[in-house]
Amino acid sequence: MKVLLRQLGALAGLSVVELYRRKDLIVVLVLSLVILLPLAFFTPFGVAGASRYMNELALLLVWLFSAVIGLGVSSRLFPPEFESRTVYPLLAKPVGRGTLLLGKYLGALAASVSALAVFYVAYGLLVGLRQGVWFPAILFQAFVLHAGFMVIVTALGLLGSLALTPAANLTMCGLVVVGMLFFGQRLPALIAAQPVPGKWVLAAIHWVGPHLEFFDLRQRVVHDWPRVGWGVCVAVSAYALCYASACLTLAGCVFRRKKI
Amino acid sequence: MREKLHICICVLCVLLAVTLGRGVPLLFSEGMPQAPGEDVLHLILGDARQELSAAMLEKAEEYFHGGLRDVDCEYGLESCEGHDHEAHDHEAHGHEGHAGEEGAAAKARDPWAWVDRRIHAQEHRHLEGNQSVELLPWIWAACRAAPQNVQAFQTGSYVLAKMAGRPEEGVRLLEEGVRANPNDAELSFSLGELLLNTLKDAARAEPCFISAFEKCRPADGPDGDEARLLKVRTLFYLGYLAKRRGDLARVRACLAEAEAVSPGHASVRGLRKLLEK
Repeated sequence: MKVLLRQLGALAGLSVVELYRRKDLIVVLVLSLVILLPLAFFTPFGVAGASRYMNELALLLVWLFSAVIGLGVSSRLFPPEFESRTVYPLLAKPVGRGTLLLGKYLGALAASVSALAVFYVAYGLLVGLRQGVWFPAILFQAFVLHAGFMVIVTALGLLGSLALTPAANLTMCGLVVVGMLFFGQRLPALIAAQPVPGKWVLAAIHWVGPHLEFFDLRQRVVHDWPRVGWGVCVAVSAYALCYASACLTLAGCVFRRKKI
Repeated sequence: MREKLHICICVLCVLLAVTLGRGVPLLFSEGMPQAPGEDVLHLILGDARQELSAAMLEKAEEYFHGGLRDVDCEYGLESCEGHDHEAHDHEAHGHEGHAGEEGAAAKARDPWAWVDRRIHAQEHRHLEGNQSVELLPWIWAACRAAPQNVQAFQTGSYVLAKMAGRPEEGVRLLEEGVRANPNDAELSFSLGELLLNTLKDAARAEPCFISAFEKCRPADGPDGDEARLLKVRTLFYLGYLAKRRGDLARVRACLAEAEAVSPGHASVRGLRKLLEK
């Protein structure tokens, strides 16, 4: 067990170091600052006091960049290893395919969630400085659920990295993420409105697809709605873990059958 | 040697491009595809500016309803004219957002819909008082994206004057809208109403109503119904202001014109009452 944990820790650590070595996070933070700083001094019609537009834009950037980082990190997990053949010495050591898969996943997840934590701390500081409200409970809840979003997205990216090329993986995962965030809530209404073949397709997506919109608390954070019940939070987090486990199981099957 | 040749050709091409770029608009000023004086937004977006402006107004509507979209509510920003925010009981109606369209039985069988209803707010609420400043960035964007969007200026002036308690800023916005849309009667009418009813400035209001009356040319048939309605309301205000000055002849002229446009309208009855007093 100790050996397994040490192996997982070593594999996971590589992904975290890789993210911070590439300085993606710094670029993203600087870009966010460039976009948000001019808006901080914006007074429409000479009236100061509006802040929700900026909070919404900041959270939109957090979601956009976290999805890009999560997908970028997870889609680069295996293809470079196969191309440069560095996967052979890894598997030649007593590291099983399952351990390698889980270690890579945990590394990508740790890297993505650490970047996410940086974004939320920056957002909390921004809101605190502008509005005097410092790290409310709803923000912590939003972070927890957003981490659940990263759990699923990273698992999807990892599954795709074993089956598709990096470009195809990024495209497919990007479409799934954007599609579910925009249309996931409206699927029941769309199903009811469609004729038979389309209805079945949408119903299949509704039941099987990853409901990433469950993890999106931006509406509540921006518009000062009360926080969600903690029971619902736990249920949604459990959904994330189950869905990611299913994706990892499928990835394990693909990896075991893959001829290296 | 080849490198020097490449550099010379490159420099010559750049000089030619710059010369043509400066010279062609001067030589063919009347034949250029885009109209002079257009700003960058118009050049890039063209007619899509109207769509962008409409999207910004929808965003303001969403903010008004606490972040919910497609809300079935009679008290939206677009129906703000005539809506008294102070008198309206916001606790009295609790319409649901778009999730409320599904059948109860379907909702009960669908665990995903159950989770979604608990994550995302379902019952909307309205922004009031000082909170209304949150709408201003989107209304500002709607006005700048398409200055021809009359609705944006009217909504903005209502938010500024009635909700945020800044009527002078509302007046300035409407004046800007009138400058951008010199042939639009609605904006002139709205400006006159704001000056008269909120700022109690009859001297500044009357020229606005006169301008609105001159711009208002109703089309024949049902297409001109809205313009006729605006005209008769304008005539009422002109008659009211004339009455304040003691100019009864002017009031009678307004009444005669209003009766010719829409004899059954409440404004016509209002003008008759002014004459009776």
